[in-house]
Amino acid sequence: MVLKPGVVTLKYPFEPMPAPATFRGSPTWDHHKCVGCGACSNHCSARCILVRDVCQELRVMLYDGSRCTYCGRCAEICPEDAITITTEFELATEDTNDVTERMELFMLTCQRCGRCYDMENSNVIERLDLRGYRYDSLETRALIRTTTDQLDQNMLKKTENYQRPTKKG
Amino acid sequence: MKIFYVFVNIILFLALAPFFEGIIRKLTARVQSRQGPPIYQPYLDIMKLLGKQTVISADNPVFRAAPIFALASILAVIAFIPMGYRETALTGYADVISIIYLLTLGGVSVLLGALASKNTYAQVGASREMVTMIMVEPVLAMTFILGAVKVKSLGIGATMFSLSSTGFGISAGVMLVVFLMALQAFVGKQPFDIAEAEIEILEGPFIEYSGPGYAMFKYYMMLKQMFYASLLVTVFVPFLQTGYYLVNIIVQLIGIALVFVFIALIGSTNPRLRIDQAIKYYAVLVVMAISAVGLSVYGL
Amino acid sequence: MTMFKNLAKKAFPKALWVYHCNTGACNGCDIEILNILTPYYDVERFGIKLVASPRHADAMLISGAVTRPTLPLVKKAYDAIPDPKLVFGVGSCATGGGCWFDTYNVTGGAHKAIKVDYYIPGCPPRPEAILFGVALALGIVDKKAAPVEMKQMEFPIDMYESNKQWEERNVIYQLLDN
Repeated sequence: MVLKPGVVTLKYPFEPMPAPATFRGSPTWDHHKCVGCGACSNHCSARCILVRDVCQELRVMLYDGSRCTYCGRCAEICPEDAITITTEFELATEDTNDVTERMELFMLTCQRCGRCYDMENSNVIERLDLRGYRYDSLETRALIRTTTDQLDQNMLKKTENYQRPTKKG
Repeated sequence: MKIFYVFVNIILFLALAPFFEGIIRKLTARVQSRQGPPIYQPYLDIMKLLGKQTVISADNPVFRAAPIFALASILAVIAFIPMGYRETALTGYADVISIIYLLTLGGVSVLLGALASKNTYAQVGASREMVTMIMVEPVLAMTFILGAVKVKSLGIGATMFSLSSTGFGISAGVMLVVFLMALQAFVGKQPFDIAEAEIEILEGPFIEYSGPGYAMFKYYMMLKQMFYASLLVTVFVPFLQTGYYLVNIIVQLIGIALVFVFIALIGSTNPRLRIDQAIKYYAVLVVMAISAVGLSVYGL
Repeated sequence: MTMFKNLAKKAFPKALWVYHCNTGACNGCDIEILNILTPYYDVERFGIKLVASPRHADAMLISGAVTRPTLPLVKKAYDAIPDPKLVFGVGSCATGGGCWFDTYNVTGGAHKAIKVDYYIPGCPPRPEAILFGVALALGIVDKKAAPVEMKQMEFPIDMYESNKQWEERNVIYQLLDN
């Protein structure tokens, strides 16, 4: 009865054993495709992707792998697909600096003012976070926070009869 | 010549006890479908434990002396059992009662060590070990007394070879069955793992020992296992007795290895009994052992 | 006597006994640690055994970001381990606090409590990854992770050397470098 399965132990450290193809391992950046938008830094669960503008045209991005939870949000949000989640899991190390990736990016400057886009002060449009087709209700002068990619007639009709919410009590 | 046998006994047991323990671990692993540790692993365990620092956690002399007592008592027993069907120099100086006394002394030193370490888990482990010892020592005593009744003397040589001189009877058969069933309890493996090595559940009575003290306790357990296996082979399988010492020793070692295989197979396929279930089991064993001795008194 | 000590030192990496300490983990890393004791990823073939008391152990596996109540307890458990000892930090919580490194109850990573020898990142680390870390500690395999640095173009630095503000930022550049 006990002899039927035999010995099932994997010979792992002596023979390589790759992970399945959809396994989320360590992320890597492709510096040819990265534009330095910082979306991955905004979306990182562990706040371990850090961005710092060193000078006018130099932006340094540092990925600190010690806190990374390998969730994959950075790759999901990257607009240029510069981040690939590899299947690399053999990351044991004595020093946490070994799992860091550091990228130095050359940023283009604005054609009119010659400055890079500032990270510290964002403009009003950034703060409002409203881009695309907008359906504010002009009749009741209400700002309605919905935007869509394509013009949507149902949405337009809905906001024509918009009623401001009344305060209770 | 007989003094030489004393040293051969001690060296044989000291050198081969971890090997047999390694056989148990490897077999347990194979039964569980995995590739276990290499067979010489317990040697490495003991070497490593001897090289560690001792963390003294309870500063009384009993705590430090308990492992030495345990190892000394089992070495004393080994020095005078007749391996290879030759009596050693010390066999004439001891008899059956002193063997039982020395084995109990080993158990008591485990208890002393556990209770001297002032840890609650160790106290629970010690109380379970006490219960196990109380219930299981009668079976061991009955094994010897069976031999003593058959040859009407208490000397070790005569009692241990009693079955070869007076022949097997029903009483010896019953005793063999009882001994096989109690072997797991003597040796401290599943299903009677309750006090000694119960590291998974309650950390056992050795919880505060580290380094060399623990190495001595581990060696004590391995030597105890090998002693009980050799007791089974010597008393109950006296057929293979050639005249040559070396051949006898090798045959006995093969027999001991088979007993260890048996221990490992039963140990890895059984769960661990609770203490109240185990007490009921031991009570049945003690009654059967006493009945076997009773049968032998009537000459059967 | 020294020959004896040498023998003991040689036997040390082949018979490690491991104590597992959970300092407020989500139990994902604990389950992965129990996984490597199963027959499929058998770690007992290296001689490693899981013991329940730090006094019997040689190595400590810490899982979990060290929360405030467990900080003195981890130190106590570390002191209870007899002398040649190794500490492994398993999971991204132990190697720097995980997602919660700056929250109110977490002191952030096992290195805040005791000195850690090997880190095994992952959330939770695959059992093969833990086996790789153990094999790395035993000297069987070589380390694979290494810091990566990428540049888009080389900068002509002399252009900025007269700029005092750039010099100020240069200090930050060097701080980022180490």
